[in-house]
Amino acid sequence: MKTPRPLTLMLAVSLGACAPATPPPTRELIDVKGSAYERGLSHGTQLRSKIHSFYTTLLTNALFPYLSREQPDIASFLPVYAGERFQNGQFAYQLLLDSAHAIEKSLPRAVHEELQGVADGSGLSYDEVLVLNTFVDTVMAVRGVALAIRLTRAPQVESIEFVGVDHDGVDNDGDGVVDQPGEGTFSPWVPALAGQLVEVPTTTTIRMVLTDADGVDPASLRVSLGDSLFTQGSDGLTITSLSATRLEVVLATPLDAASIDTLVISAGDLALRQQPPPVHESFMRTEELVFTTSGAGLAPRDVLRPALNDGRTRPPGFAVGVRRSATQGAAAFLATDFALLDANTSHKHTAIVRHQPDSGPAFATVGWAGMVIGLSGMNANGVAYACSPSDTLDNSVVGSVFAQVADLTTATLTAKGTPIGFAGRKVLETATDTASAVAVMKSLKHVYGWACTIEDAAGGLAAVETDSDIFNDGSGGVFPYAPEDRDATGHTYSSVGADDLITGSSFTKNVPDSPTLMIAGQRLVPQRSWSGFFFRSRRVMDAVARKLTAQYGSVTADSLQTLLSDPEVVDHSDSMNEVVFDLGRREIRAAMGTEPTSDSPFEITPVSP
Amino acid sequence: MRFALCVLLVASVARATETQTLPTGTFSLDVSYLSSSLDKQWSGDRKAISLIDDSPRYEPGAGLQGILRARPRAELSIALLQILYGVTDWLTVGLYVPIVLQAKVTTNLSWQPGDYQSSVGRVYSFDDFWAWAASLGQPRVPDQWTGNQGKLSDLVLGGRVLLPRVGFMEKSHFRWAGTLSVALPTGTNFDPEAAVSVGTNLWELNATGDVETHLAADQPLFLDDDGVARVNLGADVFGSFFYPQRYVAGTGKVNPLLDNIAPYVGSTYTVNPGSWLGASFNLEVSPIIGPSRASIVSGGDAAKARALPALLTLSAGITHVRTAQTYWHSESPTWDWDHEKYWQPGDKTTVRVGVTVSFLRLGVPLQLYANYRTQSLVPGRYTRAADVFAVGARTVLKFW
Repeated sequence: MKTPRPLTLMLAVSLGACAPATPPPTRELIDVKGSAYERGLSHGTQLRSKIHSFYTTLLTNALFPYLSREQPDIASFLPVYAGERFQNGQFAYQLLLDSAHAIEKSLPRAVHEELQGVADGSGLSYDEVLVLNTFVDTVMAVRGVALAIRLTRAPQVESIEFVGVDHDGVDNDGDGVVDQPGEGTFSPWVPALAGQLVEVPTTTTIRMVLTDADGVDPASLRVSLGDSLFTQGSDGLTITSLSATRLEVVLATPLDAASIDTLVISAGDLALRQQPPPVHESFMRTEELVFTTSGAGLAPRDVLRPALNDGRTRPPGFAVGVRRSATQGAAAFLATDFALLDANTSHKHTAIVRHQPDSGPAFATVGWAGMVIGLSGMNANGVAYACSPSDTLDNSVVGSVFAQVADLTTATLTAKGTPIGFAGRKVLETATDTASAVAVMKSLKHVYGWACTIEDAAGGLAAVETDSDIFNDGSGGVFPYAPEDRDATGHTYSSVGADDLITGSSFTKNVPDSPTLMIAGQRLVPQRSWSGFFFRSRRVMDAVARKLTAQYGSVTADSLQTLLSDPEVVDHSDSMNEVVFDLGRREIRAAMGTEPTSDSPFEITPVSP
Repeated sequence: MRFALCVLLVASVARATETQTLPTGTFSLDVSYLSSSLDKQWSGDRKAISLIDDSPRYEPGAGLQGILRARPRAELSIALLQILYGVTDWLTVGLYVPIVLQAKVTTNLSWQPGDYQSSVGRVYSFDDFWAWAASLGQPRVPDQWTGNQGKLSDLVLGGRVLLPRVGFMEKSHFRWAGTLSVALPTGTNFDPEAAVSVGTNLWELNATGDVETHLAADQPLFLDDDGVARVNLGADVFGSFFYPQRYVAGTGKVNPLLDNIAPYVGSTYTVNPGSWLGASFNLEVSPIIGPSRASIVSGGDAAKARALPALLTLSAGITHVRTAQTYWHSESPTWDWDHEKYWQPGDKTTVRVGVTVSFLRLGVPLQLYANYRTQSLVPGRYTRAADVFAVGARTVLKFW
């Protein structure tokens, strides 16, 4: 008996289509060589699909609409942005494009050619590729301006007083003086990088005064100490209205002896704001003050911030460089957790791009499809860098407003200078050691604030903090330091030993990064007084310091991988890559392609094919 | 998250286990109403999961706003008109006309709060999220959507050949038949710009293939003197093939946060559905054969009337279908995979029960039937589980 022919055909068709689909890689490794244009063209061609996807899902669908919400606020301050060119959803793109064109002037010809190559290979326009490669610094700067404006409407901490600390017979603030007037009182409130009080009596009462022109909403007040949360009505918390604009908050609760505590304060005001939605009160940045109680035996500088488990904090990016006495076999490693903006898409578009240029060393960047920059990378000379953003109002966008402040009707928010990713590229293209890499960073004007760690295979190790130096403070906007360098108090900046450096998403040396002043009705303050990264950064740096101390002298690439994936230091929402640069071996160990990145295995890639 | 349910399953293999052909020159007109519901799909480990992925929503630079969850339930009402004609006693041809009376989707949206949002001093609530989304031009997805009223699905042309029987087959009353059906692309795709939408073509209804071949057999048992079986065992093996489907990609002009895929997917994309291989087994029991009388139905012949189908027939059956990988082909393999991962090679099992009341023996050319088919009872793999209730009426006509 013959099987009917149609059935035979159907069986064949069905069985032939059984192969299951396989997921595309979320991390790519591509090799590009030749001239700048040829490398860009190869990059654009190989990652064409991902470049389109990344541009659309991150910029068009996420960042542009998000930035456009700021348009009404910004247009009320700078009326240019109410103009025709910025209407119909074009605000964010046009604003970023204007900055991109301004930044473009700072970029060498080879970069233009490489970007053109990416555009030709991918099918995006040159302008789109330019925006994709410059938006990070510009968005950080514009967002910083918007956030700083918004915070001026929110409650401020006027003062914090640890009652009785000024007559407890102890030098609580580490200034060498016991019980001087005002000891234990912070008025005005200025956060510090480390502990602000030590050996506080366990019976101390804490008095805080908050102020807001619209009044502080007592119902929104949250004060926490360790694992204890105090809100309106909680035992131990007394809230008293001093006036329509001032609120006194007194916390009287027994403190544990010999402990490190974090006092956390947040509150909103009494004015409900409709814009941008959802309806909300203006909320202050969550302020933190770290102190120890009697018996802890630590100097303020030695106090490391404890972990906060209130579900309201996420660790930002950081980098740690280790060498010589810190490591097993005196090896040199640079490790980084980069965290900023995943938006449920960046992790699907990660890429290591290995360059073999016509001249100069081979190098590799750890980044994303379509981005010729990386926020970390290494070259064949064994020089690597890793950077994290460090908020500052000493940035080129604020500088552009300064330059136009005489007539704000035509002023624009325009970034200028070299984005950190392009500075990093120049390091990779030219640096032979850490010193020459630092020289590259010094030779450039920077768009925004960043904290970078640079290391070479010989153990040359330096941190470089940047801002745009719009106040012409003589720094040139670059603040380098090495493990052996000391601050004004004689302490190292951010090392736990002789052979390590830890940088976060905040400044350690560039403090204060900007003066406090009023301009065009807006208040300019240093990073530590407004940046949402500041406390989180200090906390993750201290967490890294603790973990590094525990393995000092025996650090390996594997142990650094473990450190980078520790839940205490991984942002579960916006982690973007975890990388260990093994400088001696010229190997990149990268975990990326998932969110969080700690779900990914580390894969080893030699810097040269 | 895209809320468009591009595929609804109508849990049926429409003409399985049938070897029936019409007498020469006879028409059969069958009108039925199908009510289908679908609220889950089977994962790779045979767990019931939502038809739509969770959608984590992020505020750029501020972490996770929350997770938007949809547990959609789709309900579909279909009128199915079948016109069959007996060309010869061993060849019947037919036209199947499925008309969607209404499609209804209840989105059952919920929200799992995410990270603390310092800008508003709280975690986003569901309403906070939609207020935020509205400020980006994204309207709130409706709780319920209805549409497709009166829209035609794909027309199907079919033919069934009663295959020749050798001696032992004839002696045991064994019948076997081959069926071939081919769909005409008269249905519609879902609206690419709508947040919630359902198409009407056969692939989206996922009930039957665009091209199907069946080889069915029936073995009647316990026949009475007039040849009416008390029991019938049926079996069917079949293959289903779907045409590649071409879709227009959404541009986000209505739903900018949910549907703007064209810039990276391309203006159009193609879905290459995986074929099916299936087998059915059916048991029919006729507890009441009932009286008969000579009538126009039997041509005035009392003996023929006694040989007509039993008054009451109960049936139960099971169909197991193996599905091949369905592929998406766009300019973005990443986006393709987001769909393909739920359409990997898998299987589904349909359990059905039914009842047929035939008045043919009584001289009335009418059969009424009802059945219920469920794919929820036996967990499948990488398939969607629909449940269908159907009622219908069938009449036999001869005009000359």
